[in-house]
Amino acid sequence: MAALLEVDDLTKTYDGTVRALDSLAVTLEPGVIGLVGANGAGKSTFFRILLGLTRPDSGTVIVDGIDVGLDPIGVRTRLGYMPEHDCLPTDQSAADVVSMLGEIAGLPARAARQRASDVLDLVGLDEARFRPIEGFSTGMRQRAKLAQALVADPKLVLLDEPTAGLDPQGRHEMLDLVRRLGTFGISVIMATHLLDDVQTTCDQVVMIDAGRLVASGRTEELLHTTGVVRVDTAGRGTDLLAALAGREATLLADGTVEVPVTGDDDLDAIVAAVADAGLPLHGLTSQRSSLDDVFLADHAAGLT
Amino acid sequence: MTATNPTGRVYDRGYRPYDGELGGRSAARLALFKASVRRALGIRRSWRQKLFPWVLLAIATVPAIVNVGVAYITRGRFEDTIEIITYQEYVGVSTALLVFVGLTAPDVICPDRRNRVLPLLFARPLTGSDYVAAKVGAVAAIVFAFGFLPQVVLFVGQMLVSDAALDYLTDNAAVLWQVPLAVAVLALYYASLAVAISSFATRRIVAAAALLIVLLVTSVTAAILTEGGSGSTAWAAVNLLNNPLQVRDLIFDGQISPDADLAGVTGGGALAVGVYLAVVGGSLATLLWRYRWVET
Repeated sequence: MAALLEVDDLTKTYDGTVRALDSLAVTLEPGVIGLVGANGAGKSTFFRILLGLTRPDSGTVIVDGIDVGLDPIGVRTRLGYMPEHDCLPTDQSAADVVSMLGEIAGLPARAARQRASDVLDLVGLDEARFRPIEGFSTGMRQRAKLAQALVADPKLVLLDEPTAGLDPQGRHEMLDLVRRLGTFGISVIMATHLLDDVQTTCDQVVMIDAGRLVASGRTEELLHTTGVVRVDTAGRGTDLLAALAGREATLLADGTVEVPVTGDDDLDAIVAAVADAGLPLHGLTSQRSSLDDVFLADHAAGLT
Repeated sequence: MTATNPTGRVYDRGYRPYDGELGGRSAARLALFKASVRRALGIRRSWRQKLFPWVLLAIATVPAIVNVGVAYITRGRFEDTIEIITYQEYVGVSTALLVFVGLTAPDVICPDRRNRVLPLLFARPLTGSDYVAAKVGAVAAIVFAFGFLPQVVLFVGQMLVSDAALDYLTDNAAVLWQVPLAVAVLALYYASLAVAISSFATRRIVAAAALLIVLLVTSVTAAILTEGGSGSTAWAAVNLLNNPLQVRDLIFDGQISPDADLAGVTGGGALAVGVYLAVVGGSLATLLWRYRWVET
C-alpha cells in the first residue's frame, strides 16, 4: 500500500531553545491514525508543518506523494483541518460558513452549497444548518468544525483534539463519526492525549513525547497480549487464591484474580482448579496491554 | 386491523466523494473576496446588517438625484444647465464614505481574528498575500461602487435632461475617465489604510475609532504645523484626511487646487502623490507583514 505520510528527520525549534519536534521519522499508511502525546508534545507543531504553515528546521514531510516543503498549496488542497479551539464565525449559519470555506478550498459555488449540505447532514447538523453558530452547543460546534474540514472531500483530515469539551455521549458520537470517515476512504490523523479514544477508534498509532517518536505502528500490534489472564469467580477470589496455592496469582479489588500463564496447559490447570474448588467460573479473559501501558513503558525506556 | 403502508423511508446516504476539479489560489482568493463583499453588504445576514450599507448608498445618491431633478425642472429656462454639484466635487462628497469604510473594514477583518478563523482559511490554498488582496480588494470594490454609482446616476441623468444628449456626452467626455480614476484612487486609499489599521484590532469599534483618530490627528497636526510654520506649507501634506482630495484635483485639473494648503508649495502635486503612495504602500506592506506567518 502506498504511504499516506512519510516524515523523515523532522526537527523544529522555537526561539532556538524550545525543541518542538526532534528528528521525528515515521511512515504511515492510509487509515485512521491516532497522534498521541501529552500537551506540548509537538502535535500542533506537527499539524502546522503538515499544512505548510510552519517551516521545519530540517527534515521532509511527504503527504500523498507531495513534498510539503516544495508544494504546500498542493498539499493543502488534499487536506482538511479541524483545530482544537473554537474557530467558526458565530454570526453566520453553519450552512453559510461551511459553504464559504468550501469555496475557498476550491469548490465551485454551486458545488460548495451542495457539499456543505451533504457534510452537515453527515455530521448530524442537517436540521440546524441554517441556524447561527452562536446558538450551537459545544458538541454541535465540534460537528460543524468537522463538516468544514470535510467539505472539499480531502484525502486526509487533521483533527486536533476532536473530543475536547464533549460530554460522554457527544464524545462517543464524535469518535463514531471519525471511525466512519475511514470507511469512506478518507484518512484521518487524530491528535489527542486521550489514549482510550485512540485505542477504540484508530487502526494506527503514533506516540510522541517532547517532540520525539515514542512508538508507532498498527494498533493491534502495539496492544500485544501480556501473558496474564483474569479469572472471575463471582467475587470469590479469596477461595480461588486458595485453590491456586503454589501458583503466582494476585487478588484484585473487584474480586477477580490475575494469574500469569505461559500456555494452554496453564489455562487447563486454572479451569480444573476452579472446578475442583466448586467455584463458579464467570470469566477467563486474556489481558492485553493498553496504549497507556505502551506509552508509559516506552516513555520510561526513553528516560533511562 | 388495517395494513399500514409505509409513508416514508430513511436512507443513509453515506458520503459522496467530490469528483470535480478543485480551484487553486486564484479561486480561493476570489471566493474570499466574494465572501467579504457579501459580508460588507449584509447579504445572508440579518436586516440590521443590510440596512446600513444600502441606506448609505441611498444617501450618497441624493445629491445626484437632486441635481438631476433641478436640472429637469429648470431646463430651457437658462442658457446653461444648472449644476448644484460638479463631478469633481462629487468625488469629494464620497469622503462621506469614510464613515462607511470605518465600519465596514473592521467588520471584514476583525471577526477573523476574534473568532480565530484564520487557521481555517490558511489551511486552504490561500497565502497571506492572497488574504490581503481579497480583503483590501473587497473593501476597495465596495467603496468604489458606492462612490461611482451616484456619479453614474448624475451623468446619465444630466445627459438625459440636457437639450442635446450627444452634445452633453462629448462636452463632458473627460469625466468618463476622470471620475472612475479619482473614485478608484480614493477607494484604494481608504480601503488599504482602514484594513491595515483594522488588522491590529480584534474588536470592530476599536478599529473604527483608531482609523478616525489617525485621520483626525494627522489633520489637526497638519493644521498646527502649517499655521505655526515659517512660510512653507509643505507640512500640509501630513493631512491624511485631505490627501485623496488633493490627488483627485490632480486628476481633474492637473494641479493642486488653489484653495488647498499645499497650493503654494513647490512640487506640491508630487508631494501629494508621494504621500498617497506612501500611505497605500505602507498600509499594504503592513498587512503583508501582519500575515507573513502564512507566506509560503
